[in-house]
Amino acid sequence: MQHALLMWKNTRMIVLTAVCAAIYAATLIAFKTVVPIIPGVTEVRVAGVFPMTFGFLFGPAGAWGLAIGNVIGDIFGGTLSPVSIAGFIGNFLMGYLPYALWTTLVPVSSGAYVWDAKSVRNWLTYIVIAFISGAAAAVVIGAFADAIGMVPYAIISKIITINNFIGSLIGILLLTAVFDVTKNQLRLFWPEVMDVSAANTGMKASFGAWLVAAGCILGVFGGFVPGLSWTVVSWLATCLIMGGSLLL
Amino acid sequence: MNLTFYNDRATWLHRLDPRTKIGGVLLIFVVCLCFNHPLFIAGILASVLAIFTAAKSLKVLWKLRFLLVLLFVFSVVLWPFFIKGKTILLEWHGLEVSRESLLYGLAMGLRLTTFVSAGLLLLATTKNEEITNGLIRLGIPYPVAFALATAIRLAPTFADAGATIVQAQVSRGLDLDSKNIFGRFKRFAPLSIPIFISAMRYTNFLAMALESKGFRPDAPRTSYYEPQTTGRDWLVLGSLTLILAACLYMRVALHWGIIISGRL
Repeated sequence: MQHALLMWKNTRMIVLTAVCAAIYAATLIAFKTVVPIIPGVTEVRVAGVFPMTFGFLFGPAGAWGLAIGNVIGDIFGGTLSPVSIAGFIGNFLMGYLPYALWTTLVPVSSGAYVWDAKSVRNWLTYIVIAFISGAAAAVVIGAFADAIGMVPYAIISKIITINNFIGSLIGILLLTAVFDVTKNQLRLFWPEVMDVSAANTGMKASFGAWLVAAGCILGVFGGFVPGLSWTVVSWLATCLIMGGSLLL
Repeated sequence: MNLTFYNDRATWLHRLDPRTKIGGVLLIFVVCLCFNHPLFIAGILASVLAIFTAAKSLKVLWKLRFLLVLLFVFSVVLWPFFIKGKTILLEWHGLEVSRESLLYGLAMGLRLTTFVSAGLLLLATTKNEEITNGLIRLGIPYPVAFALATAIRLAPTFADAGATIVQAQVSRGLDLDSKNIFGRFKRFAPLSIPIFISAMRYTNFLAMALESKGFRPDAPRTSYYEPQTTGRDWLVLGSLTLILAACLYMRVALHWGIIISGRL
């Protein structure tokens, strides 16, 4: 989490945040009313191809960019409401978890921070993290939306998870296409833009990564366990996800 | 792409300090959460609509009428199946609809409409730069507000660049008119690559331009636009705080405005 705060001292990372937010917001607004799934809360999210790529390539700038972009999308899509606060946190997680889990979710991850389209392990890591980050956003947004009476958690958490996951899977094409250009030509790959010496990769970070993963699985499937209510599941999962994210 | 709902009118609401309007909208959000009875929330919605009329901005609300109707209908239809009530009206294959759950669904539909309307009220009466200025004055760090303002400024530019790229691809034979949304979704991925690359080139130019002008994220700032809080601002905030206190008293002490207890 340290990098997410330190990046605000780096001009290039701030500009990257603004650019990521602008791309995300422009796509969200352009496709907002094309196919609404739950009007005012979620739609078929074409912009879902961006979060994994932004998170992996631009690290904390991508995470903040998605969070800010989502708020702009809500404002100018005409759906600004208290859920926009949860949307800010959820979309931040969609950009934060890809880079934070990439080196810490061992043994799924190899520990190396690189994208190699020929590596099966890289693809596996990408798919697992795409599910976790999509589900984390869904759980946090769903818990909040249910609490204030917008949409029942049991429905919204599934829809957002599937929506985000499909978008991220298609986004693999984007990451593969732009990774080399971003890293070697534009020199905007985030570990080369800001100082990453304070990277948290020890046992504590791995514990945090698995806590987030456990929270996501509980949040998406926990309500099917007899005797567990979706409300209890949603808040327990949210606590696990937020707690785990702070350890990363 | 037009990124504003601002409706330029000379009303008392337009002249309020942006901090007052942001704080006011947050207070309206909390007031909405005090009750889950449709009659009480309808009263709050009526008040928001009255403020819209006073701000001469009803046409902004009219622009989003379809979204507002959809929000309302969706909530009214969905919630009754997820809330249990005592007076069962309909039972079918394990699904129950009760009088209480129907009323709760109606209340949530009205609440959603009120949320969105209150958010629109802020946007209709406040310019984008005033919102950013208000956020800075409320304590949001300058670099975050700068990123927000820059993103709002850049989004239409990137949308236009995207439209040009799409037109170029369509002229080369790309079929984007398919009615299948998932097909369009899949076709968007290759289109997103040139949009992404052109935006990233812009990043380097903008960062160099900022650095060459001595931009420092943590430097102290002054602003051309310096809104002043007047007695009118305090009156608005004071009134809304009193309304909130009264609503909390009604809900907590008098147990008014509750259809389903234990839920917001």
